[in-house]
Amino acid sequence: MLSGALVALVGWPLARLLAEGLGSGPAALAAAVGQGGALAIANSAWTSLLVTVLAVLLGLGGALLTTRWSFPGRRVLAIGVLAPLLVPDFVSAISWTRAYGPAGLSQRILGVELPGLYGPAGIVLVLGAGAVPLAYLVTLAGLRVRAEPDLERAARASGASAWEAFTSVTLPLLWPVLGAAGALVFVISMNAFGVPAVLGRPAGFTTMTTRIYQDLAFSASDAAFLRVIGLAAVLLVVAVSMVALADRLAPDAVARASTGPGPAAARRPAPIWMPILAWAFVVTTVAIPMLALLLTAITRGVGLDPVPPNLTLANFGRVLDRHAVGALANTLILASMASLGSVALAGLALAATRGRWRVRVGSLVTVSFALPGSVLAIAVPLAYGASLRDTLAIIAIAYLAKLWALGHRPLAAVLDRLPPDLTRAARVHGADWWTALRTVTLPVLVPALAAAALLVFVFALHEVTISILLYGPSTATLAVVVLNLQQLGDPTLTAALAVLLTLLVAGIGIVLGLVGRRGSWIGAS
Amino acid sequence: MSGTPPPALELRDLRLAYGATPVLDHVSLSVAAGETLAVLGPSGSGKTSLLYAIAGFAAPAAGEILVGGRLVANSRQSVPPERRDIGFVFQHYALWPHLTALETVAYPMRRRGIGAAEARSRATELLGLMGVAHLDRRRPAQLSGGEQQRVGVARALAREAGLLLLDEPTAHLDVPLRGALMTELAEQRARTGAAAVYATHDVGEALAVADRVAVLGQGRIAQIGEPLEVYERPVDEWVARLTGPASVLEATLTERSGGRATLTIEGGSVTISVDGQAGAGVSRLLVRPDWAALDGPFDATVRAVAYRGPHTDYALDTASGAVQLRADGPPRARAGEAVTWRVRRAWSMGSGR
Repeated sequence: MLSGALVALVGWPLARLLAEGLGSGPAALAAAVGQGGALAIANSAWTSLLVTVLAVLLGLGGALLTTRWSFPGRRVLAIGVLAPLLVPDFVSAISWTRAYGPAGLSQRILGVELPGLYGPAGIVLVLGAGAVPLAYLVTLAGLRVRAEPDLERAARASGASAWEAFTSVTLPLLWPVLGAAGALVFVISMNAFGVPAVLGRPAGFTTMTTRIYQDLAFSASDAAFLRVIGLAAVLLVVAVSMVALADRLAPDAVARASTGPGPAAARRPAPIWMPILAWAFVVTTVAIPMLALLLTAITRGVGLDPVPPNLTLANFGRVLDRHAVGALANTLILASMASLGSVALAGLALAATRGRWRVRVGSLVTVSFALPGSVLAIAVPLAYGASLRDTLAIIAIAYLAKLWALGHRPLAAVLDRLPPDLTRAARVHGADWWTALRTVTLPVLVPALAAAALLVFVFALHEVTISILLYGPSTATLAVVVLNLQQLGDPTLTAALAVLLTLLVAGIGIVLGLVGRRGSWIGAS
Repeated sequence: MSGTPPPALELRDLRLAYGATPVLDHVSLSVAAGETLAVLGPSGSGKTSLLYAIAGFAAPAAGEILVGGRLVANSRQSVPPERRDIGFVFQHYALWPHLTALETVAYPMRRRGIGAAEARSRATELLGLMGVAHLDRRRPAQLSGGEQQRVGVARALAREAGLLLLDEPTAHLDVPLRGALMTELAEQRARTGAAAVYATHDVGEALAVADRVAVLGQGRIAQIGEPLEVYERPVDEWVARLTGPASVLEATLTERSGGRATLTIEGGSVTISVDGQAGAGVSRLLVRPDWAALDGPFDATVRAVAYRGPHTDYALDTASGAVQLRADGPPRARAGEAVTWRVRRAWSMGSGR
């Protein structure tokens, strides 16, 4: 039953993809990828490398700042660093263009714009800033598990200066963690579609995911389709090997340091420039762009200054009338299906497996989360396309394949920590199997179930990589409409709809933050 | 007398707070060169915080800390840990998971600028002194708890500091290992001549290792004195119960000359030596198990008997409350039986609060 679901959702589509690609022989495949494909691969690779370096450095800095230093507003900053999680990546790219692009906020006020925002520099900045929370969370977990404050204290008591203690103890302990964080950021950056679609295409800068989109959407030739298959295969190999690398390096894999917690107050007072720098990052990468987007959304027209006489809420009404109500319905239906489906699948998988099998299924499911959205969007129709083309069902299947892992992880984490003696105690005190499940296991799991369902829901809400390749005349999602509006060049309506989508995502994200543990945000780590 | 070395450690009116929570208050004490001071307190009393303040991991809110006669911290400034002359042994060992035992012990010497080769040979020597030379290439994950703590002690010794801080170094070891480690610790400390502050919640350890014991409760020093003093003459009931098994009786004392008094409790009276705030009238008396004996003027019922081998512990129900009594040899009575008993000596803690 369980392996059946995995095979049907992931295995069969990927097999079809490989058969399609290898059917014409590797030489033909390589030829089809050709120069255009090679350029896209190179572009994706070097921008992702820079994104990785940027995000890991900033994530490390943030994690050290919030765990090792004390300053006013430390807890608020720790939440502020996570703010990019609440903004869909393509919305973030659009908001940067409104803040720092031509005719953007900075140009209106200061007369300057960010050079190269359209193009690789902008892609690296926006993707890098967006990936900081992931790098930050992984590093934070690593610091907790591996770099106990007592280890640094022992170095200081042995005569090491603060800097020596950092380089000789903290950093060596963190290398594997930083490697894991880097591998995950690299995969996410390689798989990203929304940001290069918004910032790369106007400048003629093509990455693997935008190449795939262009070939599928605007070209009907067999050669173009073969190139898509080739690029998808490369994405797949990169994603799977990087996630495998991260899993090997990840904190859980290593024996825990034999140290317990010391008393609090290991933090030193921070020089004032540290929190100022951190806040400057949050403000310039999230707050100002989102403010610019909001101002665009409530200004009458593109050319007008955002001053009171020009402000209006009418844009929201217009955009909802014209484009988005159907798409909103589609989005909510898809998100609900993905949410319920993946939690049900995760529950079944966990109920049906135990011990070593649970670990194996868990890592299989995790790998499926790393599957690039573009790859699934190609593979799933290859397997089921004939009957389901242009239906919500085909998108839902791809979502389920992609997001199952998101529901699985928080549940598995709670189940793994659930002492088996809890159920045994219920059984020995007179509960049968079902009663024990109902009265003990499920109540303990409720917060995790809610967190898992919300997490999948929120990801499905702003998913665009899959849906933009699979939507049909009546199955566009809100994210697809936003992206299409952007490409038609209507900044005001784009901004209005993007603001609505972000409110939806951020609202549920905040609920999730309150319900679930923050650790469950750590995607595929 | 310029030849007298300064105290290895001096705390003057030390106060420490984590945020708004006070942790240590008005702590003043002095540790002479070469002396071992045990800091005895229940968990949460501030032992670790006290050591952290001395080491420089936490800055005091008020007061002064002097190490080897040099001011290292007050409310305004704090010398960083690496420039204080201290070695530290951690409760949870705090061994660096990425370094071998040899590299770990060589670490403090490398930080002092000693060359790699010499640091290694001296580290090997220290590991040998702690009996773990054969484990020099292992990392912490490959060592047992006792082995890890031996490496931790060797690392602290490698610092060659005038003051050694030990934070419950045996708390996570099995009982037989504890004794062995404590013996080795005492030997090495005596060899180097370093002073030591030894935090523990185990009264047996505190009395055994220390030249003096500071009893810490809720961030304040309740009593400080030689082991015999805190055991036989505790300042109050709380210290009495912390420093060993204690029975507290309410009795009427009739003052007699020469430190001897007649003690009357329900059922009888006995004339014994009573020290402390012994005025006439009702007084609260501390009786340690070995200060009471079977046979005498008082009646009791045996509630429980525990045979310990060399001696036997009795829990008695008496007219004036529960009494713990220790006697040589095998049990002489069983639970539920009636016995008689007497008090041989007692410590008066006044009329109580």
